[in-house]
Amino acid sequence: MTNPLVTFRNVEKRFGDFVAVRDMTLDIHEGEFLAIMGSSGCGKTTTLRMLAGLESPTAGEIRIGGRLMNDVRPHERDTPLVWQSLALFPFLSARENVEFGLKMRGVAAAERKHRALDWLDRMQIAEFAERNVATLSGGQKQRVALARSLVMEPQMLLLDEPLSALDANLVIRMQGVLTRLQKELGITFVYVTHSQSEAFAMADRVVIMSQGDIAQTGAPRDIYRAPANRFVAEFVGRNNILTGTVTTTNTGGTEIATPQGNFTAQTPTPPPQTGQQVSFTVSADLVSLSGDAPGTVNQARATLISEEFIGSVVTLFLEGPEGQEYKVQMQERALTGFDLTPGTDFWLSWEPGNANILEAG
Amino acid sequence: MQGRGLNIILALYVALIFTFIFAPILFSLVFSFNSQRFPTIPLGEFSTEWYVKIFNDPDVWQAVRNSLIVSSSTAVLGTALGFCTAYSDFRYNFRFKGPYLALILLPPTIPLIIMALAMLAWLSRIGLSGQLWSIILAHSVLTAPFAMAIIRLRLHQMDPDLEAAAWNLGGNEWQAMRHVILPFCAPAIVSALCLTAAVSFDEFAVAWFVSGLNKTVPIVILEIVQGNIDPQVNAIGTFVFLTSMTLVILAQAIFISRQIKSHS
Amino acid sequence: MSAPRRLNLYALTWRLPIILWQLMFFVGPVLFMVAISFFVVRNYRMTEAFEFVNWEKMLTRGYFWDSYWYTLFIASLSASVAMLVAFPAAWALAFRASDNLRRWAVFLLVIPFFTSYLVRTFSWYVILAESGVLNAMLGYIGLGPFKMLNTHFGTVVGYLTLTLPLAVILQTVTMANIDKTLIEAARNLGCKPLATIWRVVLPLSRTGFIVAALFCFILAFGDFVAPFYLGGSQEPTLPILILDTTKSGQQWPRAAVVAIMMMLTLFTVAFTAIALAYRKPAGSR
Repeated sequence: MTNPLVTFRNVEKRFGDFVAVRDMTLDIHEGEFLAIMGSSGCGKTTTLRMLAGLESPTAGEIRIGGRLMNDVRPHERDTPLVWQSLALFPFLSARENVEFGLKMRGVAAAERKHRALDWLDRMQIAEFAERNVATLSGGQKQRVALARSLVMEPQMLLLDEPLSALDANLVIRMQGVLTRLQKELGITFVYVTHSQSEAFAMADRVVIMSQGDIAQTGAPRDIYRAPANRFVAEFVGRNNILTGTVTTTNTGGTEIATPQGNFTAQTPTPPPQTGQQVSFTVSADLVSLSGDAPGTVNQARATLISEEFIGSVVTLFLEGPEGQEYKVQMQERALTGFDLTPGTDFWLSWEPGNANILEAG
Repeated sequence: MQGRGLNIILALYVALIFTFIFAPILFSLVFSFNSQRFPTIPLGEFSTEWYVKIFNDPDVWQAVRNSLIVSSSTAVLGTALGFCTAYSDFRYNFRFKGPYLALILLPPTIPLIIMALAMLAWLSRIGLSGQLWSIILAHSVLTAPFAMAIIRLRLHQMDPDLEAAAWNLGGNEWQAMRHVILPFCAPAIVSALCLTAAVSFDEFAVAWFVSGLNKTVPIVILEIVQGNIDPQVNAIGTFVFLTSMTLVILAQAIFISRQIKSHS
Repeated sequence: MSAPRRLNLYALTWRLPIILWQLMFFVGPVLFMVAISFFVVRNYRMTEAFEFVNWEKMLTRGYFWDSYWYTLFIASLSASVAMLVAFPAAWALAFRASDNLRRWAVFLLVIPFFTSYLVRTFSWYVILAESGVLNAMLGYIGLGPFKMLNTHFGTVVGYLTLTLPLAVILQTVTMANIDKTLIEAARNLGCKPLATIWRVVLPLSRTGFIVAALFCFILAFGDFVAPFYLGGSQEPTLPILILDTTKSGQQWPRAAVVAIMMMLTLFTVAFTAIALAYRKPAGSR
């Protein structure tokens, strides 16, 4: 891969005593769709605002295309942002909003208009060009905001929870629009969100942040299958987490003794010490359910508490003898033949390869 | 509470209060067309005598000219001062912000007669008294807080990301001011111009003290009233009412209509 | 807001001119007024000095203190009357009127607050005169004529002209902002209507009411028109004293003494009122 487009080196941002971003080191590559995800106050928006120059780091270096950007003022950058509030100018028409950046850059009126209309057309809202933005629907405003940023032909587009104000159906539609746009334009998208489904649906790579730190960086699939630590495992959800003591460990697997029984998990690098306290996760959709003991290595007994349907996927919530919680996720049709009365006992089992040991801490 | 009866009593009471507040304005209008020298009931004949009289009085004309100059200049100056303070308050946090805001907001809490004396003494001392623009200087200080309040309210309604969005799209701070803040505040600025003009147009105490021989309309009224009852005052008064009421109504209407719009 | 915090030309443009302007044309005049209270007048000319002669002359005179206590009394009376008279109307507008009606009422009340007080006072002068409109109307029902001009009554009518619109506006807005569910809760718990006003509405609107009363007091305390034209100025108020001393006697330093005494009084009243307004509720009542 070529040099990264953006580099964060040991970046820190403090607001008084509050550390919003701590010792962040991160590369963002050209043409990638990067999502920064975390709950509110985790530092994701501050990171984005530092990229746009709306905040300057209190320590460390941020470079864009090799140039040190720490003290470059917002208007001297080429980092248009799609705001959570959209921040459309309410006293201007849709077209004038899109023209705004070009006007600031001194582009002549005729060309401005031409380029703005082009982009409105591309976003399929050309018919609303002369309408006041206040009269547009949520989805249309969203498209105006995108056009207003993209008309600047940036190398990188910043997006701050742009879909949070839209209803569920529209979110899915706009996700399609965004991924298609990003592929077509081939530019970098940095997308900040608290929504796991948005991040995992669109991004090539996801950065999960927690209290100013990066908790994990990786492709959505990797994060989902192998959360690096307890925070990510819990944040991503749909994970079963068990804790116990390492009894033996070798390249073939690691044996862990827990109050729920003995289990085998994949051995991580570096391998854990014998006698060490560790936690491991099993993704809810990789757990099998049976009425009788399957007789395999990783099996546990649990009582059904409740179930939850989302579309054709069912999540079962179960409880083990020592109060251990389990989640099992499967297709609805795979459940026919099971008695799903709460209180029924089941056996759960999973492949050793699907049990991932978490980093300590 | 016993709904019906109480509601009627309350409605009558509110009507009574409004009558008390608006009666002098109405009577002034009626008296101005009344032929009696000492207006009472029953009214005299309909007459435009008093209007003719003031219409032919060059002093009145001069006063109207002066008033227009003073109130329009004050409006521009007071609104500019109010805007700067409102924007500084909206945009920045800084040390001594409290005293800074007090500096502009306090004048209306000091009685006008005291401001009049203080202005007279100080402006004479620095050689700026007795001129038409002495009134303008004094009035700018008196009216700025009203402009500040109106514009600050408007800024409060603004999405705080809007200004940053302008920077983000390549505008420097001055361009953001010119293309985002000012257009957004435009209705409030017009509203503030009307209100400050109205306040200046009506103010008589400070104007009377610092103006020297330059009379504005309220000063002419004051001087006529000091003499004796003269229904000319009602005719001039009606003109003053119409002017300042129009300005205050405009100020409110512009501000309120924009508020409703931005909430839809 | 965020963005670069350092003080730059842009930030100073919006801040500095105002500071200079207000120092020059607000702080300057007020401080200079304090200074001239120590100046002396010789041969009808004010001369720089630092003497207490004006303070002595004013503060040892009976007429100053008569005027002082009278002004304090009549301004307090007018503020109280304005607050009391305004209350039922404000209550009705806040709780019985529709939102739309209330907005219109406030819209209308703002107009007289900003428009020609002087002409309105003159209009009262004509209405209240011995043979004026009010006495003529009362005459039809066999009453009067009453002497209303040049009395306390006249003065108070003038002050009310000034303060009543403001009192109604501030009271209405304050009470309209009270959470209505609290009042309903009190009523549900068996609180009687008057008790609800006393125990729920007034405590909840204390800050707004005290501010309203304070503004009424300031307006009445500093006004010279009502006592001069409607009260006949037989008992001159402090503003009339300033007016006379400045306009006729050329005694600016003595007028300054009166003005400073007025400001000190206003500060004391304002600080007390604000302390009361923001004091934590004592117990439950």
